[in-house]
Amino acid sequence: MPVKANESELDVLARARKIGLAKAVHEFPDDVIAAAQAAARTRSALPETNDPADEPWPPMRMRTPS
Amino acid sequence: MTDVHWLTAGEIGSAYVARRLSPVELTQSLLNRISVLDPQLNAFIRVDVEAALNAARDAEKDIVAGRARGPLHGVPVGIKDIIDVAGLPTTCHSKILLDNIAAEDAAVISRLRAAGVILLGKLSLHEFATGGPSFDLPFPPARNPWNIAHHPGGSSSGSGAALAAGLVPLALGTDTGGSVRNPAAACGIVGLKPTYGLVSRRGVFPLAFTLDHIGPMARCVGDAALLLDAIAGHDARDPGSVPVSCSRFGADLERGARGLRIGFVRHFHETDLPADPEVAAALDDVFRVFTQEGAEVRTITLPPLRELSAVQRLIMQAESWAIHASWLRERPGDYARATRRKLMIGAFHSAADYVHAQQHRLQMIAAVDDAFRDADVLLTANAMDPACRIDDEDALARTYPRQARSPFNLTGHPAIALMCGLTRTGLPLSAQLVGRAHDEVTLLRAAAAYERASGWHRQRPPI
Repeated sequence: MPVKANESELDVLARARKIGLAKAVHEFPDDVIAAAQAAARTRSALPETNDPADEPWPPMRMRTPS
Repeated sequence: MTDVHWLTAGEIGSAYVARRLSPVELTQSLLNRISVLDPQLNAFIRVDVEAALNAARDAEKDIVAGRARGPLHGVPVGIKDIIDVAGLPTTCHSKILLDNIAAEDAAVISRLRAAGVILLGKLSLHEFATGGPSFDLPFPPARNPWNIAHHPGGSSSGSGAALAAGLVPLALGTDTGGSVRNPAAACGIVGLKPTYGLVSRRGVFPLAFTLDHIGPMARCVGDAALLLDAIAGHDARDPGSVPVSCSRFGADLERGARGLRIGFVRHFHETDLPADPEVAAALDDVFRVFTQEGAEVRTITLPPLRELSAVQRLIMQAESWAIHASWLRERPGDYARATRRKLMIGAFHSAADYVHAQQHRLQMIAAVDDAFRDADVLLTANAMDPACRIDDEDALARTYPRQARSPFNLTGHPAIALMCGLTRTGLPLSAQLVGRAHDEVTLLRAAAAYERASGWHRQRPPI
């Protein structure tokens, strides 16, 4: 699950370690936390999802036979 | 001939034909100017003196012998250092790729060589075309020729600075969230993001695959059209390339604005992200000029800017994380702080977030397409604020997202940035025009009409 805006900083860092960012957590914990907060801000600005069955862009396309 | 550094590409071509100027004279003159001014501006990462002079001599011989290849033969061009030029490093302004020597030319470079241009060197950028002006990288950030204490915009910072300072007549930039049009705004030049797929991305280091565009940057609309003529075209080796026939993009530059329907997207800068008063006043003046020139200007509504921008941002964050994940895991300290912070964001999105954003994207493309039922060209804000100081981190963080460029990376429509004023403190202001997909001809027609009527493109920085 993606981090939530109110998730504690320790939880964010634990999640970052799980996704392979242990070195960044060790050396730049503030940057990791800032990135997680920015991700939450981006998601919160998205429009409400309409129909979950909507086709995403771009639709799958086959190559035309030559 | 004096001040050859301010000649447009079109004027350079005419001067060559009339034997009033030669490629070697011009190239040498620009190299001299670069050596004097670039230590303050940092527009170049690498100036390729020897190769440029060799290419100039070859062009001169061909032109004199009557073998001119076209309007850009012998015209110097600067290349953003994220685009491969065979045999040269493509550093992306990063420690990560300092020794990354390009094995072959990017598709756009092959096309430029075929057109006979002179490659002057590689231009600085924001690291990996994201991040921001950073002082913790192997190369210093470019500065704004209008005031070197200010940001030149980005990520194609060196391209914007070099053009505004008269170091090159043409440059290539790349644009994933506005990176051609932002430096065009800050530096008072022209920056064109073509329709997605019109210009091949092959050989350009990606930031976000579905949002990346390569675009011409110039000091006037006519030159942007000439450069687009040279670089556009289908490339079977770029999966996103669109097989459309490319006409002469500047075919209608002289037609004027009479009869054009201009849709003014006021809500972007009036209510969604209220613009600086000087920006708002300049946009009103663009409206006035188009009306005076015989265009029919009407108000158009698009989806809210906040939503368009958020969808673009999430896709960019997810795709750029996928590209950089391995380096961020192993070498986080080799990125600038600003870049590291931006590129790690995507690690905190889920697969569903990305798919949801792509669902919204399809609807937003349709909404912009629909707007063109009532308009031939859209007029919007570009940046909501003039360029801030380059060393003011808070102002950079506040103003950078306040823009109306990224929606058209999301939707793929062509968009052009044009100078439309100066602040009281002498910094450029810029407007954006947006065209129908694959209708660069009409977009450039409208831009040229405004440029001719307003005359802002003739302003030069006090450098």
